[in-house]
Amino acid sequence: MLADEQEAETGPEENSLGKGIMSMQYRKSNIFGIRVVLALVIILAMASFALVGCGDDEVATDETEGTTVEDTSAGTESTDGASAEAPENVPDEPLKIGLLVARSGVTAPVGEAAHRAVEWWAERVNADGGILGRQVELLVEEESNPQDTVDRMRKLVLEDEVSAVLGLISTGVSLATAPIAEELETPLLMWDGTTQDGVEETMPDPAYTFRSTDNETEAIAAAVLTAKYFPDTKRIVGIANDYSYGHDTWNTYQAVLSKYMPDVEFVDALFPELGATEFASHITAIQQSGADLLFNSFWSGDAPVFMKQAAAVNLFDDMNAVFTTAGGVHTSLEQDFVPEGMLLGYNTFYFDMPEKSDLLEEFLADYQEAYGDYPMYEANNAYFTAVAYKAAVEAAYEEAGEWPSNEQVAEALVGIEVESLSGMMHYDDSKRMQGDFFQGITVHSEDYSFATIDPVEQLSTTDIMKPTADTDLLQWIDESFPKEGLVE
Amino acid sequence: MGDVVSILMSGLFSAAILFLVAAGLQLVFGVMKIFNLAVGSFYALGAFFGATLVNWAVGEGLPQPLFFFGLLIAGILLGVIGPVIERLLRPIYDRDEAFQLLLTFAIVLMLEDITMMIWGSQPRSTGSLYLVYGTVNLLGATVPVYNLFVIAAAGTIAVGIGLLLSRTAFGRVLRAAADKREMVQSLGVNTRRLYVIVFSLGVVLSTIGGALVIPVTATMSEMGVELIVEAFAVVVIGGLGSMRGALVGALVVGYVTTLSINYYPPIEMLVIYLVVIVVLVIKPRGLFGGETA
Amino acid sequence: MSTPTERTTGSTEVKHPDGKGIGLWLKLALVLLGIVLLALLPQVLSRYYIILMMPFFAYSIALLGLNLLFGYTGLISFGHALFIGVGAYSAAFLMRDGGLEYMEPLILLSLLGAVIVAVPVGLLAVRYIGIYFGLLTLAFGMLFYSFLLKFYSITSGDQGIRVEKPILLGFIDTTGIDYLTGPFYYYCLGLLVVMALVMWRIVKSPFGLTLRCVRDNSVKAESLGIGVYRYRFYAFLISAIYGGVAGVILAVSVGQVDPTMSYWTSSGNLVFMTLLGGFTSFFGPIVGAGAFILLQDQVMSLWEYWRLVFGAILALIVIFAPSGLMGLLTMGWKKVVR
Repeated sequence: MLADEQEAETGPEENSLGKGIMSMQYRKSNIFGIRVVLALVIILAMASFALVGCGDDEVATDETEGTTVEDTSAGTESTDGASAEAPENVPDEPLKIGLLVARSGVTAPVGEAAHRAVEWWAERVNADGGILGRQVELLVEEESNPQDTVDRMRKLVLEDEVSAVLGLISTGVSLATAPIAEELETPLLMWDGTTQDGVEETMPDPAYTFRSTDNETEAIAAAVLTAKYFPDTKRIVGIANDYSYGHDTWNTYQAVLSKYMPDVEFVDALFPELGATEFASHITAIQQSGADLLFNSFWSGDAPVFMKQAAAVNLFDDMNAVFTTAGGVHTSLEQDFVPEGMLLGYNTFYFDMPEKSDLLEEFLADYQEAYGDYPMYEANNAYFTAVAYKAAVEAAYEEAGEWPSNEQVAEALVGIEVESLSGMMHYDDSKRMQGDFFQGITVHSEDYSFATIDPVEQLSTTDIMKPTADTDLLQWIDESFPKEGLVE
Repeated sequence: MGDVVSILMSGLFSAAILFLVAAGLQLVFGVMKIFNLAVGSFYALGAFFGATLVNWAVGEGLPQPLFFFGLLIAGILLGVIGPVIERLLRPIYDRDEAFQLLLTFAIVLMLEDITMMIWGSQPRSTGSLYLVYGTVNLLGATVPVYNLFVIAAAGTIAVGIGLLLSRTAFGRVLRAAADKREMVQSLGVNTRRLYVIVFSLGVVLSTIGGALVIPVTATMSEMGVELIVEAFAVVVIGGLGSMRGALVGALVVGYVTTLSINYYPPIEMLVIYLVVIVVLVIKPRGLFGGETA
Repeated sequence: MSTPTERTTGSTEVKHPDGKGIGLWLKLALVLLGIVLLALLPQVLSRYYIILMMPFFAYSIALLGLNLLFGYTGLISFGHALFIGVGAYSAAFLMRDGGLEYMEPLILLSLLGAVIVAVPVGLLAVRYIGIYFGLLTLAFGMLFYSFLLKFYSITSGDQGIRVEKPILLGFIDTTGIDYLTGPFYYYCLGLLVVMALVMWRIVKSPFGLTLRCVRDNSVKAESLGIGVYRYRFYAFLISAIYGGVAGVILAVSVGQVDPTMSYWTSSGNLVFMTLLGGFTSFFGPIVGAGAFILLQDQVMSLWEYWRLVFGAILALIVIFAPSGLMGLLTMGWKKVVR
């Protein structure tokens, strides 16, 4: 036995005697007992896991406390304590909602903001009696790569038996999981995901998959506002991440702006890797291009890095800039390197709207207290999906007289209109999010260390997003733009 | 002229950082024969900790121009994890390389989550602090002075290591141990202590690399996992275990990347691996493989 | 620098002569029992866990191939995910652009794709051993990954390519989730059995013996007239084939292929699984695949920092139990039997 072991474990080449003895002793004294223990532990662990796999066990975990409910009011958001009786034909158990949250890589901060918003929503709903009297329980799984996320989604639906899944930011993952939602007949409400292949829709008429706003919408908004704020632009150079989103935003921006300013010249754009951190060569190329406006659709940590490096060489002294989506990392856009006068986009949510709803005030206050930070737009999208789902369940219940099926909920979701953190939003007939997009000109306010915008332009998706999912984007742009009266 | 100089400086900066991380890799491989996949993770740690330390220090009143030293100190302080991880690696010194790769891979996994646990997922940076040194105009290209500092620091460290290896007694012992470990042992050198020192030194080189790069960029989750691939390209091209190789390899990778970004971006990632494969095929030991200095 | 390694642990055959190990008939009975159990699992498992078996089948096959390289030939590949990716994307292209609907030609043609890629890679790679082989394979894996990511006009880049469910055995075209929990499950089980059988024959054959010879002492093997490079190359090709088949299974079960399938950490996980199960045993990789998938599934749901747990487990295995689970089990068995 020992001989086997020794041959089994000693290393290659110079099998000097000294080393042999040393290693034998090492093995004898230290490892022997541990091995047996380790074996037992692993075997026990596997046995218990295997048992778990049998039958329809639920492995329910949650990262949110559903606060215990004292009264079972009929799922209203009112806090005046007026409690109706527990609704009829409604199960007692908690309502399980699955979340697919991005936790690593560049999408992690975005996923985090979204997760926090949904947690905030769940706490308030539960304090208020839950949905139709049922407490909400959030089951959280990670959105990582397509294969693993598909597994996690299947687990949430098949094993944990969630009634709906909210989440998803990356398009690749969204494309993989949408068919699963359809197959498993469970509502899937995406935060930032779409089922577009580039700008083309792959699922024009899904039954259960509710998408976020089309990816290119912010670029369209930026183009419209470029025409307003930078009408004398002669030449535009672009830089965007080298993947579908980057290319789509650049192409769409060009298409729309050409309708407003047909004489503008577009220089070949640069497409650094998503997650790149070194832009010196790109910045040089931009300077060389002779352009007087820069288009940039970075949305993650690379945006402030780019701006920092650009500021170091005074890139924006002679050049205007349009950052379609950098509002996603707004708190890292420090005033020292983000000049005033740039067009900056915040997608569906700008935290410092001139007129804030009560809901928004509360959210901002709670968020600041809990995290010492200001939320970015994914928080709003995520909040919307949660609120919309709740409203749809309630509406479907009204019609059915009992707890609604997934199919009924999905039907009720279409056209539903609810108050999000940034105003009213709804799902259209194509099951896409509809709301307002916020973009504006950067200013240095005394209230913050980072750049903010003033004025805040608000554009509705009914104007800047193609009317149905399967509309041909370029054709629609060609026919509909320039649009009158979109902005003053 | 300006853009040529700009490319030149940009490539040099990338090379400087890559050299530091690769040097950490080479030192450990040369002496201990372990290919440490975790150098990327150390680099990430250096970046996070560097940002935290400098932001705190400046907040506490450290005069801004001194932040550079704050970064260096952050890198050096992280050297304390060296002995800890070395202890973890000790059982597999004599084992097959497969096990060594796997154990360092395990460390990569663990450090990834530990970093996330401590610092969360938000990108960290030192804002525009590095602009406090201003910029300089070199033949038409505007170059941040900070970048020059980093290049100078990397160069100094390179020279320092070179001198350490060739001129000092310690360096002699290192080179001897790299060549023939048992001989050194039988000559009475405490190799155990040597390994701890060498490994910690390797860690510090990588963490300094990460700390120095952070002012210009920002931390990103998985930055370590992504960097290791570049670092590995550097050492393969330069030759495993060779410091000179680390320098040359870093320059090659730095410039190949910069040039491809400028002239034909789609092949930016591919071309590195192609170069690696070509080098491995033509000269498997790398350009300077087989040497330790 | 790295010298030819005397591979340290051998297969069960050489190290455990008759009388000490588990008897052959007993082994056969255990294997049959295993197959029967696997066949019966869909009756007792919930639907999710049945579907979770798909990656198990896929990785088991992939690891059988990987272990031919690692355990039997002594080459550690850190780029095996390359062939999984090749197999997966071949299937995706064949279905999307080639209009192929049937599983069998899909497997065969994807196999061919894997071989086509394996030939140049293998010719280059097998001249090296140890760390250089590992690094070279890692480089090729990442090369493929970059290609998949960057040439999006062909590969759809980060978005990946959708894969529909192919028709099995020419006539089975169940739709929806029943496809995966039903006929596809048994199909994959069948594939695993067949490929395991083939691999068994390979390692027990003179070819397999030669591989071990090459692994243990390549210099001596060379002096005996064995074409060391040639045999390594064949092993490499076979492992690529297994990887390709695994890729097809994964593509179908997930319904989508994407570049991350070939990222270097995927290759790292494959080696992790092999070690977890035990590379010194024929069935080790299969055990490793099962253990890894089960463990990952449970831990991922329980704790967001599952990578920490996995790293720790891997470290423990490498340091204390390098022969993996199978190694621990056979040790335990021997103690019991004694």
